[in-house]
Amino acid sequence: MKIKTLILIIAFLGLASICLGQEDYLILGKEFKSPERPRVIFHHDLHNEKAHIENCSVCHHVYKNGKLVPDESSEDQPCSSCHKVHPVKGDNPISLREAYHKRCMGCHLKEKRGPVMCGECHKANNEKKSK
Amino acid sequence: MDKIYGFLIGPGAWIAFSVFILGCICKIGAIILATPKKDRVVLAYFSPKYGFRSLIHWLIPFGTISMQENPLFTLVSFAFHFCVLIVPLFITGHVVLVETFWSVSWWTIPDKLGDILTLIVLLCLAFFWGRRLWVKEVKFVTSWTDFLLLSLVTAPFLFGFIAYHGWIDYKLMLVLHVLSAEILLIAFPFTRLIHMFVGLLTRVYIGSEFGGVRHVKDW
Ligand code: HEC
Ligand code: HEC
Ligand code: HEC
Ligand code: HEC
Ligand code: HEM
Repeated sequence: MKIKTLILIIAFLGLASICLGQEDYLILGKEFKSPERPRVIFHHDLHNEKAHIENCSVCHHVYKNGKLVPDESSEDQPCSSCHKVHPVKGDNPISLREAYHKRCMGCHLKEKRGPVMCGECHKANNEKKSK
Repeated sequence: MDKIYGFLIGPGAWIAFSVFILGCICKIGAIILATPKKDRVVLAYFSPKYGFRSLIHWLIPFGTISMQENPLFTLVSFAFHFCVLIVPLFITGHVVLVETFWSVSWWTIPDKLGDILTLIVLLCLAFFWGRRLWVKEVKFVTSWTDFLLLSLVTAPFLFGFIAYHGWIDYKLMLVLHVLSAEILLIAFPFTRLIHMFVGLLTRVYIGSEFGGVRHVKDW
């Protein structure tokens, strides 16, 4: 009897640790079909909390007639709905790769906080995690 | 390390590329401007036809007799100069940085191919090092400046390769890569490395003289 209870407890603890250990994160760049680099893991809420970004439109921005609209946001759309992987004539000229790097690397460099080197965002073991 | 890197890819890159570009323009300009004083005859006999005829022969692998006499060196030399131009211009790491900061972008080679071309450069460099260290005839005409020059070129490729693979200490290796590359760019106009540009001029000059004056082939 005792052994069975022990096994049950261990199994329960194991399961609980898996559930609790699972964090909320996004795997960015699913749009790149054959990526050169490992995809970037982005802990959305944790990141914005740690970086003290309250304004969603810092990233999810909206443009009207070529001008940024400061107090509207576009979190209902992925970046790729406006920034294509391979923009053709007539599309927004800023490609998805350029948009991500300008936004993410740009802020980290400006604030001197957060990762700035290629391998810090494109970590080699990200790909395994995303499977 | 991130702050050093931030400096190197920002102001550091500005300084390095300014010195590189202005330095090369001044050096080449000085050579062209000095020509009428030093050698007036060459201008009179300057001939695009013979000049470029000679240049093209020297740009084709095994296009000259001296290349045919040294097949191994010719092979290594052409592989080296080809990869040494292609790798820095078309590697993703470089194009992404230019795209992010200057909003211009161009075609890139796949990372795996870049890695192989880098390996070719490193093997060629090992060959050049070995020649200077162990081949008697070459050792005889080698001075410490040759080793300095080889080190200047080897460092960015070696550190770039190590960093790309994340070996040893990624951040340190990437900082060393960018630092050594910027030193190379700054040193470029003031060392024999400028032969990559001036060599083309010299060839046209020699070609003009041999073709237009002496009426002989120079290849
Ligand atoms: C601040 C984080 C960050 C840094 C630093 C960064 N990237 Fe990215 N990169 C991203 C994100 C986010 C994407 C888009 C989605 C993805 O690929 O996961 C991306 C996309 C890419 C892509 C297109 C997708 C692919 O894999 O083909 C390439 C290539 C790339 N990055 C290369 C680089 C290189 C080279 C560097 C260093 C010069 C670099 N990145 C630095 C975040 C970063
Ligand atoms: C640092 C930049 C950044 C900030 C600030 C930010 N987001 Fe996001 N968010 C992203 C990125 C990048 C994605 C992925 C978009 C994509 O897949 O194209 C995303 C995706 C989302 C998604 C879709 C998630 C999913 O499961 O696909 C929602 C919803 C969202 N954000 C809401 C918000 C809200 C609400 C705020 C403000 C409190 C906010 N975001 C602030 C960068 C940011
Ligand atoms: C509703 C469409 C739309 C969405 C969604 C969108 N963008 Fe943009 N973005 C634009 C437009 C329009 C421009 C302006 C292009 C121009 O200047 O020609 C722009 C410009 C940019 C720029 C360059 C100007 C600047 O602000 O620095 C960056 C970087 C950028 N977007 C990143 C992103 C990222 C990252 C996301 C996803 C989190 C995203 N965008 C989502 C439409 C959009
Ligand atoms: C407005 C500024 C800003 C933008 C935009 C931004 N970041 Fe950050 N990021 C920060 C700051 C500040 C930190 C440091 C937070 C800390 O102290 O841990 C950070 C930290 C990080 C970290 C380190 C791990 C962590 O969560 O603490 C990652 C990874 C990261 N950012 C990825 C991204 C990606 C990917 C994007 C683009 C989608 C992005 N960031 C856009 C400001 C920004
Ligand atoms: C002429 C000088 C330069 C040469 C010869 C050179 C060469 C290289 C090589 C060989 C690689 C590795 C490629 C591979 O193995 O796949 C590389 C990567 C890289 N280089 Fe350079 N480089 C030069 C200048 C620069 C400069 C000036 C910068 C920055 C301002 C820079 C930033 C980078 C970055 C960010 C990477 C990618 C590293 C990674 O993937 O993590 N390089 N370079």
